[in-house]
Amino acid sequence: MNDVTSRRQFIATGLTAAAGLGMLPAWASGRAASNPADKIRLGIIGTGSRGAGLATLIREMPDFDLVACCDVIPENLQKGLSLARKDAKGYTDYRKLLDDKSIDAVVIATPLYLHYPMAVAALQAGKHIYLEKSMTYDIPQAIDLVKKVKASGLIFQIGYQYRYYGLYHRVKEILNQNWLGKVTHFECQYNRNSNWRFPVKDPKMERAINWRMYREYCGGPLSELCAHEIDVVNYLLDSHPVKVVGLGGINYWKDGRDTYDNIRTVYDYPNGVKASVTSVLSNAYNGYSIRILGDKATAEILRDKALIYPETINNAKGVVDGVTGATIAVTTQGQGVELKFGKPGEESLEPTVYALQDFADCVRTKKQPISNVETGRDGSIAIHMGNAAVDTESVQYWKPEYSA
Amino acid sequence: MQLFRIKGSAQGTTYSITYFSPKEKVRKVQIDSIFKRLDESLSIYKPGSLINRFNESENETAIDGHFYEVVRKALEISQKTDGAFDITVYPLVRAWGFGTVEMKDLPDSAQIKALLDCVGSGKLTLTKAKLSKANPCTKIDVNGIAQGYSVDVVANFLEANSILDYLVEVGGEIRVKGRKYPEKEQMAIGIETPSENEFERAGIQKVIVIGDRAVTTSGSYRKFREVATGRISHIIDPHTGFPAQTNIISATVVAKDALTADGYDNALLAMGLKKALTWLANRPDLQAYFIYKKPNGVVSDTATANFYPYIR
Repeated sequence: MNDVTSRRQFIATGLTAAAGLGMLPAWASGRAASNPADKIRLGIIGTGSRGAGLATLIREMPDFDLVACCDVIPENLQKGLSLARKDAKGYTDYRKLLDDKSIDAVVIATPLYLHYPMAVAALQAGKHIYLEKSMTYDIPQAIDLVKKVKASGLIFQIGYQYRYYGLYHRVKEILNQNWLGKVTHFECQYNRNSNWRFPVKDPKMERAINWRMYREYCGGPLSELCAHEIDVVNYLLDSHPVKVVGLGGINYWKDGRDTYDNIRTVYDYPNGVKASVTSVLSNAYNGYSIRILGDKATAEILRDKALIYPETINNAKGVVDGVTGATIAVTTQGQGVELKFGKPGEESLEPTVYALQDFADCVRTKKQPISNVETGRDGSIAIHMGNAAVDTESVQYWKPEYSA
Repeated sequence: MQLFRIKGSAQGTTYSITYFSPKEKVRKVQIDSIFKRLDESLSIYKPGSLINRFNESENETAIDGHFYEVVRKALEISQKTDGAFDITVYPLVRAWGFGTVEMKDLPDSAQIKALLDCVGSGKLTLTKAKLSKANPCTKIDVNGIAQGYSVDVVANFLEANSILDYLVEVGGEIRVKGRKYPEKEQMAIGIETPSENEFERAGIQKVIVIGDRAVTTSGSYRKFREVATGRISHIIDPHTGFPAQTNIISATVVAKDALTADGYDNALLAMGLKKALTWLANRPDLQAYFIYKKPNGVVSDTATANFYPYIR
């Protein structure tokens, strides 16, 4: 047994083994993994804008050692390596990265059409996986990946970081406490006022760099932007949609793209709850927002806060001339009240950091993540149904075999 | 007679004034200046206010008329309620996270014991010119009574401007006089149904008509902290240093003026229902209505005998 395998076995069985010896490693009690042997050896496949962003966060985390990067675009690879450990290896072929037996886990942050083949290869190579959202390019891949992950026994997390963010935990809590009353609608939008393109020096690189513009590689705004909100609605309702209608088009950025520059879908959830999911690429007012409509109040979730707007109850009007009661804070009158979450004074981190911390914990303790292959499947199927509804101008239904 | 309405925000909450008069006699800018003046004296949220200067002082601070009136009444109520209401509880209020800054942790018993040494109205000496304290750590918070006082100040201002039909409300504390027109009826006041959380708009539990009097309500339902073991109330028991374990959800008190009513509603809430009703038996000048939780968890209401005639 060489150093590498013994260390990897420790990662796999570490908690039970260490607990059996009556000693707990540093990471079991806190987040400071001071011993390098406790660190998860990580490779990133795809170090473009998102992958490099993840690397920037990972670099600051004691849980991981970023030991390898892979990208087909030299500038991206260079950027990834600049954020990795000094002796990190650079690859242009992800299969070679996966061949490195010393790597415990991989982050996959590539264009959507590559998610499935890369994830399958990583599972075959025995790597734990943090796969960026959305999960797969189409529905059959989503269903198949569930089977493959379950058979592998490996940790598989989808990069829906809002499932790990205290703001959304708090929103779920107040929904369960009936603060909003009966919730009937969600209004989700992920808008921006830009062509959503990255600069291309060499025209040959257009499709590789601006893959978001092409349906060959992804589902456009629904899979790359609104995916988060669809996942959030699934999370808050503990459910998935049963059907969807939608309209969309390319009506503003007529620049050769074939993904929609505007799309508006309405998802129907159990009990008639409806979620409109919109992306418009020519307006950025409140760019990212989810409004939850209840008969007692509205919750408006923005990037890093949520506001509550109580419904006005008119039963006092006309009946009485004044009302005596416990003092209402001034802000609750007619305007939004910011929802408190987390502990006072607690530092709020980038939501992705919480997701990555949990990934590390899952790898060490062998528990499956909250954002897992099944929630990922439900999100991806909903996305594909939404795009299909718009493509075919027809209602798309959730088929029983999707969640069998 | 015309109806005039002035609405605004002050003292961390909202206010609303309704008055009937042949012509406009009082305007919003005048009312706002009154609140501003009161804040300079009584607001713990306003840096440099008299109350903050006193709290930061080692022993004494020169005071003004507003400050004197409020503290005088607070000391009187503290004495008459055996300390159930006590403005010197502020160091504990802060430690429990209900002061001007949020607290990350809950205080432990050693901290509470140490802070109890700063608490007690007996540690204050009041003259018209100054307020003194025996211990520099004694700090006061008149939030439980200042709104009632503000209502009285505004009501007196209206009367000084020969307005005799009005309703003044600040943060749910009310003083009313005269009638509304054209009905020539007394104005009706709703007692709020306690809500589940700080956002919920409450309904009306009872409608009362009280003549030329004041009515205030203290509730444990809107201001609280969620902790691991449940909710803790913002009403701190000055005797124990811990949040009051009261079965009263809201206490509504009718009195001749809002300062009196507002001072006693907190004390009654902290006492708990049984003690509050016993205590009220010797106070015919106060009429009270309670919404409370029975031991089996059912929410119920009750009132002193002299309160029932107000209920419409």
